[in-house]
Amino acid sequence: MATDRVSPLRKRRWSAMTLRKLEGSIFIAPWILGFLIFMAFPLGFSIYMSFSNVRILASGIDVKPVGLQHYDYILFKNPVLLYNQLIPFLKQQLFIIPIIVIFALLIAILLNQKFYGRAFFRVIFFLPVIFSSGQIVREFIAQGKGELDGGGDPDTAGSFNSFIDMSSFVNSVFPPSWAGPIQTVLNSFVIILWYSGVQILIFLAGRQTISKSAYEAARIDGANPWEVFWKITLPGMTPFILLNTIYTIVDLFTFPTNPILSQMDTANIGRSSALAWIYFVIIFLFLGLFYVIFSRATRSQRALRG
Amino acid sequence: MPELPTKRKKTSWKPNQISQYLLKSKFVLLGKEADRGLLFKIFIYLLLFDTAFIYLNPLFYMISSMVKSGPDILDPSVIWVPKSIFLGSLQEAWTTLNYPNAFMISLYLSTLAAVFQTVFCAVAGYAFARLHFPFKKFWMACLLLTFVVPPQVLILPMIVAANQMNLLNTFWPIILPTLFGHGLKGALFVIIYRQFFYTQPKELEEAAYMDGANVFKIFFRIMLPLARPAIIVVFLFSFVWSWNDFYYPSMYLLQTDAQPLSLSLSQLADYLKKKTELEGPSIFDNSIKMATSFLMIVPLILLYSFTQRWFVEGVERTGLVE
Repeated sequence: MATDRVSPLRKRRWSAMTLRKLEGSIFIAPWILGFLIFMAFPLGFSIYMSFSNVRILASGIDVKPVGLQHYDYILFKNPVLLYNQLIPFLKQQLFIIPIIVIFALLIAILLNQKFYGRAFFRVIFFLPVIFSSGQIVREFIAQGKGELDGGGDPDTAGSFNSFIDMSSFVNSVFPPSWAGPIQTVLNSFVIILWYSGVQILIFLAGRQTISKSAYEAARIDGANPWEVFWKITLPGMTPFILLNTIYTIVDLFTFPTNPILSQMDTANIGRSSALAWIYFVIIFLFLGLFYVIFSRATRSQRALRG
Repeated sequence: MPELPTKRKKTSWKPNQISQYLLKSKFVLLGKEADRGLLFKIFIYLLLFDTAFIYLNPLFYMISSMVKSGPDILDPSVIWVPKSIFLGSLQEAWTTLNYPNAFMISLYLSTLAAVFQTVFCAVAGYAFARLHFPFKKFWMACLLLTFVVPPQVLILPMIVAANQMNLLNTFWPIILPTLFGHGLKGALFVIIYRQFFYTQPKELEEAAYMDGANVFKIFFRIMLPLARPAIIVVFLFSFVWSWNDFYYPSMYLLQTDAQPLSLSLSQLADYLKKKTELEGPSIFDNSIKMATSFLMIVPLILLYSFTQRWFVEGVERTGLVE
């Protein structure tokens, strides 16, 4: 640098870019450190453990590599462990996830209309976020509070069940392997609605992004609300539908009380690790599948948007 | 000068008046546009009331079954409103849960986790949104990975590591990740902060840079106070999720006396089962379960009722939007 030749005592200055990179690195360093300690290391170690037999001894742990034995056991030798729980669970999720997302979308749109008491209703609909903890939810489902008629006595007049006998209807229309999961979904319908708290928030926030001028222009041009919904609101919400569905999938699949993960225990760490990894791959496949379908469905819309 | 128009004699033209009234009422009912009329608003109210009732139904059930006395439970005509309020179930729930102790522990854990996550996820979120550092795209992909990976995949190595370091029955395995911006659903909070800082105008920072501030000053003096909606949302969510979480405590704190409420609640089921084996089922079992659930969520409901105003506003302003 010219300055160096002029005065060799002057210190070389860092370029602005380097300085910025340094500042950025300082800010992100705790997070990266945390990622390495709490995410990368456990991930790697968990893979390693899933390929070995692990025992905890007083002096430390004892890891003996056994190759693909655990995966073999779970996937092929002992299907009860995985498939019995997995298939009905996946079938349930197939219903639960669209229900939650669509319900959240409708409620968010409703809550966006201007009417008195809007704030009151918003409070009510966000309330379940506060107490959707695992046990309380399970307790309610056990009491039958999840059904649409509030688990009332079937003899009392006016209960939902007395008008439409849901279970026989479901059992007669759907093949047996599907009827079970559908019945479970219907039984816990209200609780499923409870899981939509966060999604409603996200949709509400997303609804704010659609510019008011688009709505005003539609209004001036004489569009009725139905057309407005399909042509303006829904296309504008597509990125949030994607975000919400991904969040719902991840949230529901990682709920600690789901049947597959509750089989993990510290007795056989190697096998549990293998189970967790298989489950994780399944989640990944599910997410990928959904992302592909979503991209296809909105391909024309995104081409239009450019 | 133009002639003033002569005043027309008012003919009692009934059909015209009637059609005017009809038109007016049509506008009132249906509105000049379809979603401003009275009918539409009534429809919305009905829909919302019904949904709200279905939503809150379990909550009402919880409260009403909690205060029912013995005769009320057995009385089939008493569904919602008990004839007398009986607090015995509440008392028994209180002692079974070891409520004061468990409450303080839950409070301690949740507050610590919430505070740490609020601060350190903001730091990471700001870095992802506004700052440059090497391999930024790679680390963003890592952030998404953190979002997707279920905690169950990571828990076993963490338990092994905690065991090695003799931290197993302490609070450290739960609190330590939050110090780095991770922890329970930490990735979601980083994403929320990132979205928020992304949508702030760059001019603020540029002006501050030109005035000679370094990045730390900018963050702590300008961006962080600006991020109040995001801070409120993240703090509330973090507190609530940590309070309700029983997975991490069940993995790390199982053998100690220091058990948060969520853990006590899950052990209540076992306790009741044992009691049933000894003494036979009691009609109060349901009430006790409802009472314990209620005791656990009452602090959260209080917190929510005080902060819900900022909460709802905060979400709309975090700019979880592009």
